Amino acid sequence: MDNSLILSYTTFIYFLAFMVYLLGMVMNRAVLSRLGTYLSLLGFTAQTLAIILRWVESYEMGIGHAPFSNLYESLIFFAWTLMFLYLILEWRTKNRTIGAFVTPLAFLAMAYASFSPNISSHIQPLIPALKSNWLISHVITCFFGYAAFALSFGISIMYLLKRLDTAEKNSLFLRLIPSTAVLDDLNYQMVVIGFLMLTLGIITGSVWAHSAWGTYWSWDPKETWSLITWLVYASVIHTRLVKGWKGKKIAILSIVGFLCVLFTYFGVNYLAGLHSYAKK
Amino acid sequence: MKNAQSKNNPNAFWRFLSSVKLTIVLLILLAIVSIVGTVIPQEQGAVEFAKNLSPAMFRLLSTLQLFDMYNAPWFRLLIAFLALNLVVCSINRFPSTWKRFSVKPAPNRSKPFEKNTLEDCFEVTVNGDEASKRVEKILKSGYRNVRRKTSGADHFFYGDKGSLSYFGVYVVHLSVLLILVGGLVGSFFGFEAYVNILEGEKADQVIIRKTMRPLNLGFEVRCDKFSVDFYKTGAPKEFKSLLTFLVNGKAVQKNDLLVNHPVEFGGITFYQATYGSVAGKEAHLRIDRKSNKPVSSEKTVKGNISYPLPDSEGTFKVVDMRNDIMHLGPAVLISIKPKTGNPLEFWVFKDHDAVKKRLPPPMLASPKFNPEAFPPYRFSLTGLKTLYYTGLQANRDPGVPIVWVGCFLMVSGLFVTFFMSHKRVWVRILDQGARAKIEVAGTTNKNPVGLQKELRHLMINLQTEFHKKG
Repeated sequence: MDNSLILSYTTFIYFLAFMVYLLGMVMNRAVLSRLGTYLSLLGFTAQTLAIILRWVESYEMGIGHAPFSNLYESLIFFAWTLMFLYLILEWRTKNRTIGAFVTPLAFLAMAYASFSPNISSHIQPLIPALKSNWLISHVITCFFGYAAFALSFGISIMYLLKRLDTAEKNSLFLRLIPSTAVLDDLNYQMVVIGFLMLTLGIITGSVWAHSAWGTYWSWDPKETWSLITWLVYASVIHTRLVKGWKGKKIAILSIVGFLCVLFTYFGVNYLAGLHSYAKK
Repeated sequence: MKNAQSKNNPNAFWRFLSSVKLTIVLLILLAIVSIVGTVIPQEQGAVEFAKNLSPAMFRLLSTLQLFDMYNAPWFRLLIAFLALNLVVCSINRFPSTWKRFSVKPAPNRSKPFEKNTLEDCFEVTVNGDEASKRVEKILKSGYRNVRRKTSGADHFFYGDKGSLSYFGVYVVHLSVLLILVGGLVGSFFGFEAYVNILEGEKADQVIIRKTMRPLNLGFEVRCDKFSVDFYKTGAPKEFKSLLTFLVNGKAVQKNDLLVNHPVEFGGITFYQATYGSVAGKEAHLRIDRKSNKPVSSEKTVKGNISYPLPDSEGTFKVVDMRNDIMHLGPAVLISIKPKTGNPLEFWVFKDHDAVKKRLPPPMLASPKFNPEAFPPYRFSLTGLKTLYYTGLQANRDPGVPIVWVGCFLMVSGLFVTFFMSHKRVWVRILDQGARAKIEVAGTTNKNPVGLQKELRHLMINLQTEFHKKG
């Protein structure tokens, strides 16, 4: 079966998982939330299969390479790392409400990859600069970083929502969200994992750039934005560990951090697009 | 009074430099100004961008050095300030870290045991003294700084693990400094240069990018062969130069140079950066002579060598060969020296139809672009031998090893800081005649879940020790 077709199904499954997680929360039905987990696992398994298939397919085409080489493949891999980390988190925390805030991100990434007219799902051959063993380690570390930051973003949104919960409000939806203390702690853990992975991602990128272009750092927009993201999360960690900031401030800073991640990922292309437009 | 003031001022400054608030402000400030440099095109890109700016805007941006922001003194100063803040903060906090690291709590503290439950203790069928020997053995095999205290027949133990994790954060800060130092070393003692070498030719100089000045290599590098492969889609698949390095004219090293696979020689690293093609030294021409009896001849000519015209009405030579001129494709400049009359020069394009279509009429009318400018002859360019050149990046950066050490330390330091903790454990043995009660407790600076795991593990180790020997 064609890998793109499986990936389209996966997109749909993640959407269903999102709906079911959300309904489970709104209607307070544990059965539905459990169904969400099954759907997530199903989608994740299908996606893993599709990524392996795509990898094999590229070798059959004679242009074999890991499926991390263009925007389509990176979005798919982003959704995969996100679901991977999320499923571990769900298993560790035994709480399914986070699913309602994370599966939509995975769904959006997949949907963007599948349905945007500007993104080609064809397997493309690698240009010489991408032919390097560093491709795999660089992409894996960066995307696990992005995924951890995406989880931190989801958890921060949950934190801000949970703060609206008061005794008199008696909202079922909000009551099911874990306590602010738990969310705060989880958020910090995700930031730490993301920061370590982003650091590794920048370093592997530098080593690669050094062997491809001769300079480990050249201040190109993508590099600079990854540094900006790194600086923002470095301040999250410093405010928390040294200044003792907690809760709302950290949640807001984490959201800002994730916006930087999004800009590093997508916005930079838009910047370049602006330039090429201006040149015409 | 004067004394107090001079004492107070450096203190205030020191306090300012050692504040974490300053760190946060600097981190955020660096992040924000870095954004500016990604929005305004830098260096080469800036030229194109600046054309569309109003003069006032241009003056403002160039006064602020925003066209080469990352090399601007104020940007570097900001980074230096962050480095200074980091050093001062680290010095300031070191004593208290050292204290936490070196403090050895008493083995007979009772506070850690206050929250204990029944699961944290067990009874053994040996007396306190015998039990304490076995406990000490277990503790010494898994913990550092194991100390005991005995009061009567009761025994108290202390041990810890991971106390070095307090220094992880200093390793991270040191790594940041090392990376910055590596960058400085590179910018003072290194260079980035490039050179284009035609297939079959050699170079003994490279051009430094920053100053555009040539630099003597002290050896020669020859491009023996250049090859480029394409995919079916037309995208380049691989390009490769076969290089020979020569010292005093003697070949010493031969390498295949590929993208992502640099080659080092004489302390300089060569990278396959680009490639291109230029016209070679031979052109293939067809010369038609219009007359009652048309004559047509084909000729392969070399550059700058005079050849007689077919009817001995003079000589011609090719004075310039271009692989691409004005995006109209290959062309040669032909210079004619007639027997009588003035010499003339004109361009002959390989694809004359495209020229007719795309060249504006006034230019087309000019004899410069007319292949029939010397009647009754008509020149056609049927072929032009092209030569590939390889574009090499030639760099020296003695700062790179320092940067790599910094990167390695950063990752290890972050790992230690985030995922390791200082775990302190206490074990007390309360003698009950022929039996003894063993109790376990602990504290940690972070990661309480990890501590619970640690204590469970210790309990199991102790219990198996006593089970084994009865």
